[in-house]
Order: sequence, then structure tokens, then C-alpha cells
Amino acid sequence: MSFLRKITRGLRSLFRKEQFDRELSEELSTFAELAAQEKIKQGMTRQEALRAVRLERGTVEIAREEVRSATWESFVEGLWRDIRFALRSLRKSPGFTAVVVLTLTLGIGANTAIFTLINAVMLQKLPVRNPEQLYRLGDNNNCCVMVGLQNDDSFVLYSYSLYEYLRDHTPQFEQLAAFESYISDISVRSPHDASAEPYKGEFVSGNYFQTLGVGASFGRLLIPQDDSQAAPRVAVISYRLWQQRFGFSRAVIGSTFDIGGVPYTIAGVAPPQFYGDTLRSDPPDFWLPLVGEPEKWRLESPNPEWLYLIGRLKPDSKPEFTPASVQAQLTGELQQWLNAHRDIFEKRDWDQIPRQHITLTAAARGVEQMQTDYALGLRLLAALSVLLLMIACANIANLLLARGSANQSQMAVRLAMGGTRLRLMQQLLTESVILSLVGGLSGLYVAYVGGHALLLLAFRGANYIPISARPSLPVLLFAVGLSLITGIVFGIAPAWMNSRSDPAEALRGSGRANSEKSSKLQKSLIVVQVAMSIMLLVGAALLTSSLRNLEKQNFGFVTEGRLIVDLIYPEAGGYADSQLPALYRGLQTSLSQIPGVQSVALSTYSPLDGDNWNEWVYIEGRPADFTGVAPSWLRVGPHYFETVGTRLLQGRVIDERDVPGAPRAAVVNETFARKYFPKGDAIGQHFGTNDVKNSGAFEIVGIVEDAKYQDTRGPAYPTFFWPLLQVPPGEPLRGWARTIELNVAGRSENVEPAVRQAIAGVDPRITVLKVQSFGEQVALNFNQERLIARLTELFGALALILACLGLYGLTAYSVARRTNEIGIRMALGADRGNVLGLVLRSAVAQVGLGLAIGIPAALAGGHLLASQLYRVKSYDPVILGATALILAASAILAASVPARRASRVDPIIALRHE
Amino acid sequence: MPEKPSDLIQGTLDMLILKTLALEPMHGYGISVRIEQISKGVFRLNAGSLFLAIQRLERDGLIDGDWQPTENNRRAKYYSLTQKGRKRLNEETREWGKQVAAIARILEAS
Repeated sequence: MSFLRKITRGLRSLFRKEQFDRELSEELSTFAELAAQEKIKQGMTRQEALRAVRLERGTVEIAREEVRSATWESFVEGLWRDIRFALRSLRKSPGFTAVVVLTLTLGIGANTAIFTLINAVMLQKLPVRNPEQLYRLGDNNNCCVMVGLQNDDSFVLYSYSLYEYLRDHTPQFEQLAAFESYISDISVRSPHDASAEPYKGEFVSGNYFQTLGVGASFGRLLIPQDDSQAAPRVAVISYRLWQQRFGFSRAVIGSTFDIGGVPYTIAGVAPPQFYGDTLRSDPPDFWLPLVGEPEKWRLESPNPEWLYLIGRLKPDSKPEFTPASVQAQLTGELQQWLNAHRDIFEKRDWDQIPRQHITLTAAARGVEQMQTDYALGLRLLAALSVLLLMIACANIANLLLARGSANQSQMAVRLAMGGTRLRLMQQLLTESVILSLVGGLSGLYVAYVGGHALLLLAFRGANYIPISARPSLPVLLFAVGLSLITGIVFGIAPAWMNSRSDPAEALRGSGRANSEKSSKLQKSLIVVQVAMSIMLLVGAALLTSSLRNLEKQNFGFVTEGRLIVDLIYPEAGGYADSQLPALYRGLQTSLSQIPGVQSVALSTYSPLDGDNWNEWVYIEGRPADFTGVAPSWLRVGPHYFETVGTRLLQGRVIDERDVPGAPRAAVVNETFARKYFPKGDAIGQHFGTNDVKNSGAFEIVGIVEDAKYQDTRGPAYPTFFWPLLQVPPGEPLRGWARTIELNVAGRSENVEPAVRQAIAGVDPRITVLKVQSFGEQVALNFNQERLIARLTELFGALALILACLGLYGLTAYSVARRTNEIGIRMALGADRGNVLGLVLRSAVAQVGLGLAIGIPAALAGGHLLASQLYRVKSYDPVILGATALILAASAILAASVPARRASRVDPIIALRHE
Repeated sequence: MPEKPSDLIQGTLDMLILKTLALEPMHGYGISVRIEQISKGVFRLNAGSLFLAIQRLERDGLIDGDWQPTENNRRAKYYSLTQKGRKRLNEETREWGKQVAAIARILEAS
């Protein structure tokens, strides 16, 4: 009740402010008058009496301010007045306002852009029903197809048989779904199209959509009955595909598509936001039942482990439904299954079975692949952008201090007129917060544009990213919150300093003591700014040279003029093994005839395209060696090594004579040769795979230089190369030549149409997945490094500009203040050089001090970066020296502009200055 | 110059004003004179703190203001105790009495 009354009274006085003020003034002056009357009665003159009352009871003005300022509405009103005052005074100094707002726009914009990315990548949950109920069986992102026990004894990839066992024995899950750990490139021909096009497809269990808890936007989604051999094949398409490719046509539902040579009926469309189980670029366009997996043996055999599992826990509070106890139960089930299927594992691994376990991890964000990949990079970027914002704050604080000193007499007058210091600070802080909010608002725009650019940079090579740079509510709140904090951070010290003026002193026109203090603060801010800038610059230089080292390293192949073509073969009704020689020969011949093509080769995959197959080998006449990693392998055709530019070191390469039926030949790389034949006698030796009885199958006919196929930072893996069509005795052919390499004279992209035509000429059922330059394929491996390096460069450049701007401003300001002194010095005989030195000395001192603090800090920061750096020492003296030199030189240059102006001062004019 | 007036104990000014107004409606200066007289000059109020307290009491609905002419042809706001104000005064007086007695006992104890 009384609270309401306070509010209404307050509101009344707010709206009838004049009346309220008039009445209060009248009361106070009556009070003073009555008190004076009393004194006059005692014999004072009127003047004496009024003076005595002022002394004893305080002046009317101060009393009024005191009474008024105690009410809440006066705070609101003061705020409103402050806002208007701030806007007016900002409008009066457009240059200052523009610089500050621009600085803040960049600072807050950079932070908001990074936050947009963090929010989208790290914080967003799957767009499904109750994502918190979802749990994944496994704790890492090992991919693709494995056999045997798994890394660190933690199961992540599951065979179909193991999946069924776990699904049927864990009643705590409402549903347990399986899906392939990778998505596939599939060739799809819609009923209206003559030729097939490449799309992304994911094979999932029938209860996949029920587990994730999503409903169809049109038609229906997969159900368990669809995932059986007997059922007709159906597929679900993504909303995006429905929209962009089929224009929301309802006729698509129920129509039959040719997917990899198999007819599928489209059952329905997934919801608009749904991108599947994993946040990734180019998410699936098609979801297909697991039973449709072309490699059918994977479903039938308990050997291959290639499925990820995600389950939805029943919402039950009983103890056996907690994730911890479900995890324990799953591990128990895993053990039972493994023991029952001992025979599929190598005998040497049996003693490890009791250690195998399943870790249940929260899957509200799905399979956290991108989250894991980008965690470190995003954290680094967040730290760097905060550093940039702090530099911006230091810069603006400095500008405010300088501005405050200029307004000192105004402050003094306001203090003398009864303004309290708190009131003045409130006003100054209002100004700062207004500046930062304006900066934050335009920063949001920068974040949107910049965030979009960041996504393009981070996901170069992707056709579509299920992440938007559009500011969402969390981003908006972040930007506003950050702006408020920023405004207070850069505003508080100047507000404190500037509201401190001693009225008497300031009005007398000297105000020396105060400006001394504030100029000391200004100088330390410059020092801090220089120190933080050098940290950013050193970071930028380290990351940039690391990226350059990565990109320009000797990969063991040549990218110039090389083109990589990836194919999708028609899976079902495709080729019998006996047709492959003619097919490969046809491709080879018709591509070689394209003008400008110097050489053509076929292979199962190509360097750094993300693929890597490995397998243990048995060397003839030696005990089996299972140390280190299993060697990588691929099949290559004639001219492969010359086409990708890998040099032959010894022996011969794989060529036309290595056909089925001919003696089996293999080429190995240096690391392979060194590992298995340390005596250097690799040529002529034999090895095989799968079983020791195959160890005589392949003869090593050549050694090529090491080339990096998978890991760009570490050494090359031991690798062996097989001819396209030679298989170990008694084994089926594994691995088709899905990749074609071309070495082209001139611009390699120019031959793309001819390449597509030639391939269609050989067999129109072959779908070209993509054609890209070898250089681009390699560059895509460094997306994250590039993102971080480019952003750090940008931040570093901004920091450098801000540092120069700051030093320029401070020097100009101090020159202006010392004009008089400089005039005197010159009148007394100082020459230009002396004056220049005088002014620059302090700039040099601040920069020097800043570097002295910043370089050790940069060394410490570089130490944290060390794991990110490739062939750059975090303490690289050349980089440290060069960046320090650049920073110092630019800063001194910036300071020398006003210094030179000072040295040209005419003493006569300078002395007249005051 | 007379001895410097004492500061009021925190929170007691409101009670003193209420007490003063319990006798008859009074304007601001009247209140300050009455408090000064009765306290024999121990408490001298400056205008700021007095009107701050008056404003607070008025907003809380403990006193009511009414403009009336003064003896020398000016206008002043005369404040009177409301029903609620009288109740509050009684409560505070009782509380104060209890506290003073307690403090006195503590001080005399040793």
C-alpha cells in the first residue's frame, strides 16, 4: 500500500515537477525567512541575519538539491536529463563521438560476431523434442569403419549385431537409434530428371526419427517397419531440399527416386530446422533406412563396427534410470556380447575384453563433432576479441580523460553550484553508456555481416551450413550486456577523475594537481594499450606464419595445375569386377585426349581429401609387427605418382603392366620402407594383409617419397600403394577408383566442362560428385587455422591502429597543453630538435614501458598457443623483434605528427596563448 | 559562538518530528524551533535534513501538509499527524522506551 503510494506520489511530482519545485522552494525560503526574522528580532541587520541563517542551516539551493535528490523520481529525471545532456554534448563534438562509436562498433562487433559463432556452434541444442533426454553411447568421434576392439577401450562404433543386442536389453531407453558415423555421397535421379545428381545421404535405423523426437513437416518419417529387407524402400528428404529443389511440390511425396541404382519411394519431409544427429556442414539431404546400405555384408556380419548410437532415456526417477546406472548396465551388456563373440577378435586382444566399456555422454547437442573440432579455436578467438575490446576501452578512456580535462572548469562550476560528485559521475557514466550502446547497436550489424563472413571462412568449401549468423535473442542480450559493461569499464575511471575537480582551484584557472593525476592515468593507459597490442600482434604473427608454414610445407606432392575429380558409381546394377579394367581404361583414355591435359591417373582416394584406409601388414619371413599405427593404403593406376607430383626414389612406379593376373606389385613410401626394412632392402621383398599366409602376395617394386594424406602436421603415415585391380589371393576386390587426378597445363579449372563430358561419354550412369583444384582440396584442411589467423591479423591491425591513435591523441593533447611552456623554451633558445625530443621522449617512454610489459606477457601467451603452432617457436625472436619494431615505429610515427607541429610553434604566438 | 549542536541518532529525527506534530499542526521552521527549544539547543536541524525527513514522512502517509498563511503574510505548509502517523508514533515511542531502558541497564550493570 505505502509502496504504491510512494510511486503515485513520485509520479505526480515527476509530472508536476514545476509545481513540486516551486512549492519546495517556497517552503525552504519561508523557512530561511522565518529564521532570519528571529535573528533580526535579536538585533541583527537583515543582511547579517540572512548570512547567519545560511551558515547555520545551509543554503536554500543546497537544501533543495538534497531533498530532491533523495526521491526515486529525481533519479529517473536526472537520468533523462543526463541522457539529453549527453546527447547534446556528443552532438557538439562529432569527431570525438565518431571515433569512439567506430572503435566500439569494431570492438563490440568483433566480440558479438565471435559470440554468434560460439552460440551457434557450441551452445545450440538439437532442434528436437526434449533434447536433454538424449544420450550417446560413446565419448569420442572415431569414425567410419573399424574392426576389433576400440581405442582406449571405450566403445564408440558399433556393429549392427551389437546394436540390436544393446537395443533389446536396455529397457531404460524409450528408443535406441543407430546411424552411420559418416554421411555418404549418393547419386540421386528424380523421376523428372535424365541424369543423376550428387547428394548427401545418411543411413539410419527405422526408429531414428522416433528416438530424436521429430515429426514430419509433410508426409511421414521413417518407422521401424521400413528398416527390414522385406519392406519396400522408402526415404525421407530434408526440408531444405524440398524447398529449394522441389519448390514444396506435394507430388514429390510418394514418387519414386533412383538412389544409387535402387528405387526409393519418398515417404515424407523432415522439419525445417532439422539437420540430423550431428551439426555439420552439408548435412544429409536424404535419410535412408540402414537396410539400404549398399555394403550389405556390414549388416550381416558382427565384425564391422560403423554405427553411432543415440538413445532417449525414459523420464523416470528410479535409480536404475540415472545415466550412471544405465552406463554401468550398458558396459555389462557389452561385456556379455563381446564374450559371446570372442571369435571375431584377434586372440592377442582377448585379454583386453574385460576392460572394454561404454561411456554414456549427454547428446542434447547430438554428436559433438564440430563442437570438439572448434572448441579450442573458438576459445582462442574469444580471448583475442576480449583483448581487442580491452584495448578499445583503454583508448576510449583516454579520449574521455582528455575531454574531461578540457571540461574541467565546467565541472568545477557545477560542483560549486551544489552538484554532488555522485551526480556528476552519474552524468559522465550516462554519456559513456550511451556511447557504448550506440556502438553496441552498430556492432550488432557488424556482427551480422562479420558473422556471415566468419561462417564462410570457417566452412569454406561447404555448399550449405545449418548455422545462421542472424542475431538471435541470446546474441542480442549478449551485445546489450557487453555494451553496458563496456560503457562502465571505460567510463568509470574518467568519470571518477573528471568529477574530482576542486572547484576553487579549477575556477582559478590552474587545476594543475588534477590534470597531473589524470595525465598519469592517461600515460598508464597508453602503456597498457601498447602492452596488450603487442600481445595481439605477436599472436597474429605467430598464427599467420604457422598457417603459412602449413600451407607452404613440402607435402610430398604438387598442387599446381592439378585437378581432382570425385565420382559416384552406380552402386546396384553397377559393374562386375570383370568390367572394371575396360571402364578404367576408358576413363583414362578419354580424359587423356582432352586438350591441355598432360597426365591422368585413377585412385581410390587422393591426398588430404579426408579419406584414409589402413590395415596391418605381414612381411614375408618376419614376425608380425603391430607397433605404431597400421599402414595406410590406397589403390592407384598408371601415371599416378607423376600426376600428383610425388617423386619416385627407387625402383619403378605402378604402370600398365600391373593388371590382374600379372605378378602382384606394390609401391611403398619411405616411412613404410624405413619402418619394416630398416636395412634399406625393401625393393624385391614381399608382404600381404589379413593373414600371415598372404605375406608373399605382393612384391615391393618401388619406393616413393613420403607424402601427407591425412595428418597435415605430423609426419607422413607408413603407406603402401596397390595397383587398381590386383587383389590378394582368394579375396574380393575392395576399393574402386572413385578419384581421378589430372595434371593440366594452364588454368586447371578451364577443363572442367570437358572432363564432365568425357566421363559422361564413358558411362552416363557415373555421377561427378565434385571437381576442384588440388590446391583448394588441400586448402580446405586449414579452414580453422585460416579463420583464426585471418581474424587475429584483423584484430592485430585494429590494435595497432588504436595504439597509434591513442598515442597520437595523447601527444597532441599534451602539446596543446604545453604550448605556453614550449613557447618559453623556444624563446629561451631551445631549437626545433630540442622541442621534438622533449615531446617525443615521453611517447618513447610509454611505448618502451608498454613493450617491456607486453613482450613477457606475449611470451607467456605464446606458450599457451604453442600447441596450435606449426614449425614456429612461440618465442621466435625474429617475429617478436619484428612485431615490436613495427609497433614501436608506427606508434612513434603517430606521436611525431603532433610533436613536429609543436616544434614549429612560433614563440610569440605561443606566449600569447594564455 | 554556542556549543556545536549534536548530531541526531540515526533514525530518531522522524520520531521527533512526529512527536512535535502530535501537539498541533506546524510548518517546517516551527518544527525545527520546537525541537531546538525542547532539546535546549542540543539538536539544531539544517533545512536539508529537516525537509528530507518531512518529505519522507509525507510520502509514507504519516503526516499531511496543508498550505496556510503565516503570521507575517507569507504562505507556509502546515503539517499535521495522520491516523497512521499517530499509530506509528505510539509504536516508536514504546520501542524507544524499551531500548533506552535496556541500554541504561547495560550501562549501569558494571
